[in-house]
Amino acid sequence: MSAIVVTGLTKKFGTLTAVNNVSFTVPEGEIFGYLGPNGAGKTTTIRILTGITAPTAGTAAILGHDIVEETLTARSHMGIVPETSNIYDDLTAWQNLMFTAELYRVGKAEREKRAQELLETFQLLDRKDDKVHGFSKGMKRRLTLAMGLVNDPRLLFLDEPTSGLDVQSNLIIKDVIRDLNDRGVTVFLTTHNIEEANTLCHRVAIINRGTIAAIDAPERLKQAIQSVQSVELAFDHMGTEVLEMLHRIPNVNEVRKEGDRVRLYTPDPGSVLEAAMASLKVQGIRPLSVNTLGPSLEDVFVKLTGLDRGHNRDPKGK
Amino acid sequence: MTMEYSLYHFRNDLHGAWAIAKKDLVIYYLKPAIYMSGLLFPLFMLLAFAVGKSAPIATLIPGLIAITSLFSASSIEPVAIPIERRTKTFDRLLSAPISLFALVLGESVSGLLFSGSICLALFIGGAVLLRTAAFSLPVLLLAIALSCFTFAAMGAVFSAYPTENVGEVMSLLNLVRLPLIFISGVFVPLETMPPWGMAVARISPLTYGNDLVRYGFEGTTHFGIAVDVVLLLVFTAIFLALGNFLYRKFNE
Ligand SMILES: Nc1ncnc2c1ncn2[C@@H]1O[C@H](COP(=O)(O)OP(=O)(O)OP(=O)(O)O)[C@@H](O)[C@H]1O
Ligand SMILES: [Mg+2]
Repeated sequence: MSAIVVTGLTKKFGTLTAVNNVSFTVPEGEIFGYLGPNGAGKTTTIRILTGITAPTAGTAAILGHDIVEETLTARSHMGIVPETSNIYDDLTAWQNLMFTAELYRVGKAEREKRAQELLETFQLLDRKDDKVHGFSKGMKRRLTLAMGLVNDPRLLFLDEPTSGLDVQSNLIIKDVIRDLNDRGVTVFLTTHNIEEANTLCHRVAIINRGTIAAIDAPERLKQAIQSVQSVELAFDHMGTEVLEMLHRIPNVNEVRKEGDRVRLYTPDPGSVLEAAMASLKVQGIRPLSVNTLGPSLEDVFVKLTGLDRGHNRDPKGK
Repeated sequence: MTMEYSLYHFRNDLHGAWAIAKKDLVIYYLKPAIYMSGLLFPLFMLLAFAVGKSAPIATLIPGLIAITSLFSASSIEPVAIPIERRTKTFDRLLSAPISLFALVLGESVSGLLFSGSICLALFIGGAVLLRTAAFSLPVLLLAIALSCFTFAAMGAVFSAYPTENVGEVMSLLNLVRLPLIFISGVFVPLETMPPWGMAVARISPLTYGNDLVRYGFEGTTHFGIAVDVVLLLVFTAIFLALGNFLYRKFNE
């Protein structure tokens, strides 16, 4: 059975179409990424799939249960971690977990056992009787995740689970997602962090302005745009004249400065590398490091969503 | 939600409603805003009235309990729900495997428990300090429970208004509950009201709550116990249904 089947899903707010005729299927056991810029419709999609908002058109089924017709049954199988950590500040971590478990009707012995385990997993056990009030952002995020798991869901919705967190919280959360998935839990996560989607997800849907631009495994999405490869050079004295010069190399579509490195986008990295080395030598510059890179998921994303990278664009255009 | 509802879901709903009620009590028992509007306001209102009439304080206890049941029971949700909307914990309730009815019911039960305990404290305080005695303790307890539940359900109706601002709901609510005090026979006995006044009094739930509380203390009632009880139950059912409807409507 599929964990999620979405057909022709559309959501309008007045004249604005937040989600536009979206269809996809997530098989059980998959980590499915929903990648898109701000305002793409990620949260709106999750709100429909969790039965908080009704779709304007289309259908969604969760583990075979239609979310509009069988809302309660569908919800009983899911864990939800929304965009904003929605915890009761005036309750302790423990009380928050107990309350959530009761909403899902998890028995007393079971919920106490699970809460204990989850607090341990998320490294919050020593703070279990403290009011959430004083928790840091990362601690609140971890507690929200623990609350999303207290009913032992088969399907987990995560809306930007790691956005704005420090390395430690980030690592804990990613580890937990992988562990859950090893135990067969399906994960639907939204993110605008391309690296996260790349390293965590089996498949990624790229959504922009409510419309899905592509759905595939990260590697295959990258293959689909093999034309976007790049040569990366690091050298001292990266003046504008040097960048101008690199622009003029034939077959270079775009030059991007990234910190102390510069990236030349091209369909032909071999010849560009040769030409770049030659021009730098003329200027008396010795590169500190040289790399040729395949397309990144970011490149796929930029290409499919038509986003402007915004800086160091090739003055000649495409 | 239309086709699937079964006894199983109903039991989940009761369970969820109870969890929500308990959570509300733990969190909102300690919020000063609720005490301000729930207890202090009725107290000052009645004291002002007593000073004007120079009536002995002990005779004010029944009216005070009736008004307090209105003010404290109807205050919990209009304070709690906008706060929960703002902190997004409301989404947690909306996305749980319980129906909106469980939400409305849970909130009403917390209003009942909260204001019921305040009314009991008033009764005990009156008995200890002013030697006010109940004529019929069972009827008094029933009166307190029924009024508190009715007005808690009324609070749930107002809390459906989709805002994150407590003040907005409160001012809407006061628009209704302040006039109720004056048309319900709390200050002016029903017997002395003109016919049009009686006609207005009949549409106020506080009239029946007050009448029943009065029986609990004095053994006299205008409408009779049965009428009071039935009408309070009818008002409760109407408020619960209306609350459920409005939550559904405002939630698209
Ligand atoms: N309740 C609402 N009323 C009106 N418009 C809304 C509502 N919710 C979302 N929108 C609009 O729908 C669009 C999609 O919003 P959504 O929150 O789904 O984006 P998102 O992909 O989650 O963005 P972000 O990365 O910023 O979280 C936006 O233009 C947003 O303004
Ligand atoms: Mg979002």
